[in-house]
Order: sequence, then C-alpha cells, then structure tokens
Amino acid sequence: MAKVLMKGNEAMALAAIKGGCDAFFGYPITPQNEVPEYLSYHMKENNRVFVQAESEVAAINMVYGAAGAGARVLTSSSSPGIALKQEGISYMAGSELPAVIINVMRGGPGLGGIQPSQGDYNQVTRGGGNGDYHVLSFGPETLQETVDLVRHAFDLADYYRNPVMIAVDGLIGQMMEPVDLDNKIASMDLPTKEWASNGKSGERGRLNKIVSLHLDPYDLEKHNLKLKKKYDEMVEKEQRYELINTDDADIVIVAYGTVARVARSTVKTLREEGIKVGILRPISLWPFPEKAFEKLPESVHSLLTVEMSLGQMHQDVRIVNEGKRNLAFYGRAGGVVPEADEIADEVRKLVKGANA
Amino acid sequence: MKRITILTGHYGSGKSEIAVNLAVQEHTDMLVDLDIINPYFRSRSVRALLESHGVEVAESTLENAAGSDLPFISPKGSRPFVSRDLRAVYDLGGTKHGAKIMMQYRDIIKDPDNIDFLVVININRMETDSAEKIIHVIEDLEATSQLRVTGLINNANMLEYTDEQTIRDGEAVLKDVEAKTGIPIVMTFVETHVKTTGSFAGETRPLTRYLAEHWL
Repeated sequence: MAKVLMKGNEAMALAAIKGGCDAFFGYPITPQNEVPEYLSYHMKENNRVFVQAESEVAAINMVYGAAGAGARVLTSSSSPGIALKQEGISYMAGSELPAVIINVMRGGPGLGGIQPSQGDYNQVTRGGGNGDYHVLSFGPETLQETVDLVRHAFDLADYYRNPVMIAVDGLIGQMMEPVDLDNKIASMDLPTKEWASNGKSGERGRLNKIVSLHLDPYDLEKHNLKLKKKYDEMVEKEQRYELINTDDADIVIVAYGTVARVARSTVKTLREEGIKVGILRPISLWPFPEKAFEKLPESVHSLLTVEMSLGQMHQDVRIVNEGKRNLAFYGRAGGVVPEADEIADEVRKLVKGANA
Repeated sequence: MKRITILTGHYGSGKSEIAVNLAVQEHTDMLVDLDIINPYFRSRSVRALLESHGVEVAESTLENAAGSDLPFISPKGSRPFVSRDLRAVYDLGGTKHGAKIMMQYRDIIKDPDNIDFLVVININRMETDSAEKIIHVIEDLEATSQLRVTGLINNANMLEYTDEQTIRDGEAVLKDVEAKTGIPIVMTFVETHVKTTGSFAGETRPLTRYLAEHWL
C-alpha cells in the first residue's frame, strides 16, 4: 500500500485492524474519538466486533472477557478514561491476558482539559492498579512509528500475555501525516492460545480458567514470580529508543512523543550556533530505555529532560543517571506544548560557563 | 470568489487550512469557524493572524475557549447572510455531521447567487480516493446541509511528499467527478514548496500552512 494521508487516531484504528484486532470495546472521550468512530464503520466491514460500552469500566471488562476467550482485543481512551480502566488492566495482568490499549493523553488531573499532555507518564509506566505488575508501553513520535507499533503491539501482547499500551499525546492523535499501513514490521512466531477459555474444553480434555485470584499466599507468590520473569524479559528485550545527534554531544535533551518533534527543531537551531546538543528519545516508556544512557559518549556533561508534564519522566532519568551527569528539567503542562525556542533557552543555560 | 464561500468536506481534507488561506489572500471581512467536530487545528486557533489581516473571526459563544469542544455557535455567524456587504469564508466541521450545521441558516440564506458551497477534496485520504467515493461524500454533504455543492477544490497536498504529480493525480480524479456530476473544479491549492509547470484546473492558489506548527 502506498502512503496515504491520515489523522493519528484513524491511522491507529486502521493499524489495529491490520494488526489482526478481532474486537474493540470502548467509550468516547476527546481527543481520541476518531478511534472508535473509525472502527464503528470498519470493524463491521471486516466482520469483526465493535461495541460502544456503557462506560470505560464496562469496556475494559469486555476486553478482559474477549481476551480470555482468545481474541485479539483493543480498547482506546484518553487520560481520565484510562484511569477508570486501571482496575481491569491490573486484573488482566494478573490473569495474564493480552490486549492493546491506546491512550491519547490530555491534560489532568481529574477531568483536566482536552489539549495535549504527557501527564499520564506515571499512570502509564507505574500503572494505577494494584499489585506487582507492569504494562509494556510505548510513546511514539511520528504517525508511521505509531501505526507500526500498534500493529506490532498485538503480537507483543500475545507473546507476553500482558496488556500493551500505546501512549500518545493528543497532538499525535489529531495531527495529519502520510503513513504506510503495510510498512514491513517484525513478525513474531506465536503459539496457539492453549490457555484460552473458548468453550472447547471437550476437545482439550480440561477446563481453562481465567482468574487473578490466588488465595494461598505461597501460590500467589509463585504466580508473582512467574509474572516478574516476564517483566524481566521485557526489560531485557523491549527497550526501544533513538539517539539523535548524540555522537559528539555535550548536552542531551531527553524527550519522547511530540516533545521530541519540537526538540528536533531546537537541535537544528542550536547546532547552527555551534552548541553540541543531541536528543535521547525513549520509544518504550516501560521498560524505560536505560541502555540508551549507557550509549551516550563521555562528552555529555548535562541531560535536559523536557516533558509536557511536570517532572514525571525526569524521575526515571534521575534513577538511571545515578548522579553521574548534571541534570536539568523543563516542562509545560495542562495542554501547553513547549516551543522550540523555550527549549533552546534551557539548553543555553547548560552550556559550560554560560551562567558562571 | 463569491461574496460568501462555504467550505465543506471529509475531515482531514484541509478545509481549515484553506479557509484561513482564502481569508488571508482575499482579505475577507469575516471567517466563520463552525467546526463542532474537531477539538484541535481549528481555524479559530490563528485568530491573531486573521485579525492582523483585518479578518474578524466568529466561532463559539465561548470566545477564546480554545480548550472547549462544546458545540456552541456564535450568533455572529449569521451576519454575512443578513448584511449583504460582508464578505466571508465559512469553515465547517468534517463529514456530513459537520455540514448539518448549515441547516440553521436555511431560512436566512436569501442571496444564493452570491454563495459558493465548495467541497475540499484530498485524494490521498482513503475516504475520497476515487470518483465514486467522492460522489458519495458529496451526496451525503448535500443531504445534511440542504445546500447544493457548487464547486470542487483540489487539495491533493501530502506535506513534504507533495510534488506536481500529486496535484495532477488529484486533478485527474476530480475531472472524472466533474464529468459525472457537472460540478466544476473551481480551485487548486498547491503547497508553497512545490515547483510546478503549467496550470491546474480552476484558479491555482498557493497553500501556506498556518494551523500546523512547522515541526508537525
């Protein structure tokens, strides 16, 4: 398929169909409404299931049920709606159910606003549900990267039997960009879902149960350690990132999603001024791409985290940095996107001797 | 250009960018942003630019509430239909749902000869990539707006991927629509970075990106 011009939300919806999504359950919320709108027409055309649930809580529990029956399932929402879904996500992690969750982030807390934000970083990477679990999550920068990840997310969810979240800010959901929906992506060799509770116990000779309840503490601990093993595998295999102009850099901007797009302009301007600045762009949000920091050259003396939130990802940067480099932070919140020259001013403050 | 130009089309066809470009190029008296579909990239977001060109912006009753997606429409939007000395561009929300809003003006549109109802088409959008699909979209838009489409705008731009051939491909499909429906291609918009030779169907106009930041 040639490149077509699409809006982020509809591109993600079509990518889900291409990724083999069998069923969608969701509830409307701005700024992600084009996802369910698009699927409300096109899932039916493709003989798949689309349900507008009565609430986010209902939707995520429908996802639980369909995933338990072995289907490839999608839900989408925006920040406060994702908050409502957290209980279900924890249950899915506990019951080892695969699903893809699209989160088109808006300002918070509470109802917040409808303009773009990255204020869900903690919600995405720490989760709002109970227990020892993680959601494999990605924060892409372009629509092409977003659609490739949405398609791949269905494989990853099945492979790990765990929810996978695509977290983009509202701008990525609303912007238009040419995309190729058949771009070549990695395909995974996946076993059939022998664990699914699909009414075929007669053929199988045993009952499959989908539960997250383990009343015996030793039993539950064993289950927790089994989950932990999967998360360790994700940390090992799923860290994704891009290093941009970092080879000779003195200062590196750490930014993901829309902010990374803005930071590219900043780097262009500052490089013309002779300031050696680059970008470390996390693509996987959890696991946080610690390996990327190991690849930065010794010349990097300062890291500047820039977010459309007030220091959430910066906590991860501090953990990884272990006091090694000078750290700085710049964030805008509430739906305000940082401007390229605002970021440039913050970088200039870090140039050695500039503010002596 | 007629006194009143109303722009409709599928969402993502480029209506708002074209509305802003037309208002700026023609120094119209007003731009009426009737988009109740889309929360981002609306023509009202460049109010300051439009005002600097002498264009008054009518939008929601909650003026300057950029963060609102409530479907409120300013009563100012009806003025160009009543005051016959006002030149205006109307920017509707996408799809038939966005076009439905024109129904409210049905009884005050008394000057139909001076009104153009133009459909913006980008053939790189999957919903409008063939003559058949475009004709279907036009029928939908006419049914919900209760207005006859008077012209087509070729907006086959693909951002940095646009070249002359992209625009010609759009023109070829729209020529087919023109032949089948009798609705003429009245304008072709070409992004300012595109080098072109020869002319295009209708009036050829440059397209400047006002709504999207340069890093988008």
